[in-house]
Amino acid sequence: MKVIEKTTLIGKRIAKLDAPEKASGKTRYVHDLDLPGQLYGRILRSPRVHARIRRIDVAKARALPGVHAVLTAADVPYQRPLGVGKDQLPLKGDKVRSRRDEIAAVAAETEEIAAAALALIEVDYEDLPPLTDPAEALKPGAPVIHDEKTAAPAPHESLKPGEPGDAEAHRHNVAMTFDYAQGDVAVGEAESDVIVDDWFRLHYVTHCCLGVSGIIAEFDSSGNLTLHSNTQVPFLHKREFAEILGMDPGRIRIIQPPIGGGFGSKLDIYPFEPICVFLAKATGRPVKLVFSREEEFVASPTRQPVLLRLRSGAKKDGTLTFRTCETLHDNGAYTSWGATTPFVMMQTISSLYRVPHCKYHTTAVYTNNPYAGSFRGYGNLQATFAVEQQMDKLAAALGLDPLEMRLRNAQDPGETTQQGMHFKTCGLKECLTTAAAASHWREQHLAAIAAQKTPGRFKRGVGMASMLHVGGGAKIYPSDGCGTILKLDDFAHITLMTGASEIGQGSETVLAQLVCEELGIPLDAVTVVNNDTDITPWDVGVHASRTTFIGGNSALGAARKAKVKILAAAAKVTGVPEAELELRSGHIVHAASGEAIMSLAKLLRSLHFSDKAELVMTTHYYEPPSQHQDKAFKGDVSAAYAWATQVVEVEVDTETGIVKLVKVTGAHDVGRVLNRLGIEGQIEGGIVMGQGYAITEELIVQDGVVRNPGFRDYKLVTAPEIPEMDIHFIETMDGEGPQGAKGVGEAPAICIAAATANAIANATGVRIYELPFTPEKVYRALHAASAAVEPT
Amino acid sequence: MAVEDYWAPTSLPAALEHLRGGDVTILASGTDLMPQSHAGRVTFKRGLLNIRRVPELSGVTSDADGVRIGALCTITELMRDPLVRAHFGILADAGDHFASDQLRNAATIGGNVCNASPAGDMLPPLLVLDAEAELCSKPDGRVETRRVPLAEFFVGPGKTVRAADELLCAIRLPLPPPGFVGRFFKFGVRPALDISAIAIGLGGVRSGNVLTRARVAFGAVAPVPMRAPRTEAALEGTALDAAAIARIAAVARDEVRPIDDVRASAWYRRELVYNMTRRMLDDVTQA
Amino acid sequence: MSLKREIGFVLNGVRTRATVPVEMSALSMLRDVVGLTGTKYACGEGECGACTIIVDGVSACACLMFAVDCDERTLTTIEGLARDPLGEKLEQAFVDCGAVQCGFCTPGMVMQAKHWLEAHPHPTRDDICRGIEGNLCRCTGYVKIVDAIEQTARSGPGRT
Repeated sequence: MKVIEKTTLIGKRIAKLDAPEKASGKTRYVHDLDLPGQLYGRILRSPRVHARIRRIDVAKARALPGVHAVLTAADVPYQRPLGVGKDQLPLKGDKVRSRRDEIAAVAAETEEIAAAALALIEVDYEDLPPLTDPAEALKPGAPVIHDEKTAAPAPHESLKPGEPGDAEAHRHNVAMTFDYAQGDVAVGEAESDVIVDDWFRLHYVTHCCLGVSGIIAEFDSSGNLTLHSNTQVPFLHKREFAEILGMDPGRIRIIQPPIGGGFGSKLDIYPFEPICVFLAKATGRPVKLVFSREEEFVASPTRQPVLLRLRSGAKKDGTLTFRTCETLHDNGAYTSWGATTPFVMMQTISSLYRVPHCKYHTTAVYTNNPYAGSFRGYGNLQATFAVEQQMDKLAAALGLDPLEMRLRNAQDPGETTQQGMHFKTCGLKECLTTAAAASHWREQHLAAIAAQKTPGRFKRGVGMASMLHVGGGAKIYPSDGCGTILKLDDFAHITLMTGASEIGQGSETVLAQLVCEELGIPLDAVTVVNNDTDITPWDVGVHASRTTFIGGNSALGAARKAKVKILAAAAKVTGVPEAELELRSGHIVHAASGEAIMSLAKLLRSLHFSDKAELVMTTHYYEPPSQHQDKAFKGDVSAAYAWATQVVEVEVDTETGIVKLVKVTGAHDVGRVLNRLGIEGQIEGGIVMGQGYAITEELIVQDGVVRNPGFRDYKLVTAPEIPEMDIHFIETMDGEGPQGAKGVGEAPAICIAAATANAIANATGVRIYELPFTPEKVYRALHAASAAVEPT
Repeated sequence: MAVEDYWAPTSLPAALEHLRGGDVTILASGTDLMPQSHAGRVTFKRGLLNIRRVPELSGVTSDADGVRIGALCTITELMRDPLVRAHFGILADAGDHFASDQLRNAATIGGNVCNASPAGDMLPPLLVLDAEAELCSKPDGRVETRRVPLAEFFVGPGKTVRAADELLCAIRLPLPPPGFVGRFFKFGVRPALDISAIAIGLGGVRSGNVLTRARVAFGAVAPVPMRAPRTEAALEGTALDAAAIARIAAVARDEVRPIDDVRASAWYRRELVYNMTRRMLDDVTQA
Repeated sequence: MSLKREIGFVLNGVRTRATVPVEMSALSMLRDVVGLTGTKYACGEGECGACTIIVDGVSACACLMFAVDCDERTLTTIEGLARDPLGEKLEQAFVDCGAVQCGFCTPGMVMQAKHWLEAHPHPTRDDICRGIEGNLCRCTGYVKIVDAIEQTARSGPGRT
């Protein structure tokens, strides 16, 4: 008898299942798809920042040969408001509130004809005073951006906390507010030996997915709509499209071709998507609408710019006493997910460290700027930037090492914070000590302080920052679940149908791995189907670092059900008790000896063709054991929480202000490593995205106009600029996680800006409260500091 | 306006013949023309003349006058060329900071010169090297050639003295005198793929800590890539001690005429000119 | 209507003819006229490298090249690497090293790596970073891409 050793896939370096096709250029993204009879859609956008539309004349555009449809708001009276705030129509008819606003759309036989038709559309505008500073927008008497006569727009149906859509608030340009409190700040202040109080200014950045936005819409002869869409939330979109279009959601099918990058950008519905459907409806032809790179910069969402004031206090021994935080979020002209990021920010304010007394207030303000969406990290980069700089400032004021300061206030496993977050596992202290030891923290930190005053062009320094983020989903919608259908065929090949979408992060591979591990089947015997709402079961979407955790638990649940069926059948067929059987390498084996008894394929066939004919198919729906927060934002919003500490080493060129990221040492509590290759890739990519946020990237918006809508002046990090990386995994084996794993997608991007700020301060003695750390900004700060100390 | 005619001639006289009417867009590698036409910054003229197949515009050769670099020479070819490496090191240095490998492989020296961007990477070193533009035309059936010192070639952003019926055929460089040292600096946060916020070229014949026949040129600090005569005068024959270097750098800072834009403020550009000129002169004296 | 020209070139080893508007880019020609979609549009101005192809033995951005200028030249796209020993090795290394996430930059990255390795057969990691400085990747942080190119270089030329 053949003996089959027990092997495991968990923790191995597993190549992504979709990588061979992608590496050979065969993958067909939405840009690469063409349907027979397809027309090309293009959108006319407002060249004005804030204006009333007096007249639109499309006669010349309609007359252009090759043009099949030209639509304005007047042509689609059935359109309904869209997005998180339900505060915009896809096509604007009365007024434009930002420069990207959609005025008209064309479907034509070629992209060139569509572009030529746009140029023939005449629009008369009456300019209105622009509001591009959120502080100005709040002043009494400021022009009102949303002066719709209608009642309050309906809030997003699925959104639980922080309900937007208050018409009274809109009259003051307030899009959304959040308030949270714990303890009594006055008590905390009284107990404080030291208090720090600072303003932080966070800038606009944008996702820069290499694949630009695009969609193809097609109606069949029965009026069923098929969308080939880049969305990260296909099932929510079905429902939302149905609302906007006044359609039965059952008649909408969303197919997701592979996506050229997501990072949160495709979490909301955007005007171009229903507009493409309008064009398909008007022409009776499939319509493809793909952005140019410039359009992508102008008309896709941004990370939300924030002006943030933080006050923190501590006792002499370093114990934190209180924290107050106020923010002004520049919402832009419409409300997308950006306005809800305070929901995540408050978790960092209240619970990254133990703070007995907290008060938190945020206001998202309408302006005529680009509007902010969701972006990897979801407000946490901004909150961490402020909190972790003040940890260093408090430590300095108290004469403590920043590491010591953090360790004194760090959370422990098992704690439930005052906000109600329950940390079943928590590796924060281990993250802190691991990253510190690996980076030689104490020596480097002290050496840099000693060298601050010595002459020399280049200054080196280290800075640390830690983070807390959801790692087990986030209960924002009524359900945070995911469904799986598992089908085994006669040849022991598995089809894994999951609601969880792959967006390049490698979830498809991890889900396959988890199922194979459970069923003892090789990876090449799995096909993952994850891109078609007509086939796959419901899922709430790719966001909140949830897919490995939620989709993984769901897949595991389905696999376990299949395993029970298989082993029961195997026991019957072989006469060996179930408890003595195992599945290994596509075989039924004796658990003790590893001796193969029969192949799984043979067992499945015999099941299929026996009297009680049965195919092994299972379904599972996983809903994490977390809760919705109450109205006061108290409650345990995630089934698990991820932790990390990153130590950043910088070199500052004092003659140019250039900050070079030399090395990043990271320690990440990931629960457990499932696919080592994949998780390293997530962390490395996150670090470099954080580097861009900290140093190189800025969407320059002046008077409502994006001034750098291209890669020439919007600087993504390039290969020669990346730091050395030393990444450590802290495996806390979360009891709720699939094989102990927690979500990690967003975590690695969160700390870099904060740690870089601390490292620059360590290197130069100068602290900068505003991102990004461009050479000019750093140079100015150094210059101002040296001018200030020079005797006059 | 739509292009009505397209030619890809295979000899210089044929190319010049097409240029005679003047209403022609010249295409070399297209690396500037393609994005500029897409963005609407350049509109095509009636004729599109692809000069890439004109053999007279290729290659690096030397003669009694010095070195002739064909206008179609790509940045990669320049960086690898033995004559360039032997005599014009700062040109190869500038090439190393030029865009990216893909762009260096395609972009031509002639295109970089004719595009006349104030931030053109190759232009400060060419100015330092006393380059001349070799312009050809065929007004009445005969090929005529004139040479224009590069320092007089640029008249504004994207504007040069090249007439509509002229073609830039080559860049002419005299061999540098014995003892010549040159330095190139481009400010950027990355090695390449960056539009310079400032660029500096400087050179001269070094003897001890003195430079004679001094040349200083700046990019991205004026409407055109500029020679800096006041800085050159301050540098010429001066013993380069720390005080003198600081003084010369201050002259440079006052001589440049930068503007504020999305890449940098004028103030910061002046600071960089000061700091980096100082740094480069330090470096020259320590070489 | 745009002026068009018929041109002939060798594409991935096959003699090919195409009729193209004279203002068209080589990228549009490859994707929309010839129908090879492995070469990607991501910026259209030579700033990202997603459209990198090899023209007469050197890498170039297809988005910056005029299609008419492909006349009488030899082009290789990602689809042409299927039968190229170095190309195959690179693609496999990208898979094995985890250099692919969303995959959108990957074809251009592989093409640039192929050209760069042919010109620099024994690169250091820093050399490799310089070699791909014109190729943007938003997902991976480049580490595993550099790993893949380094692994390919180490495995020596020619061997498959």
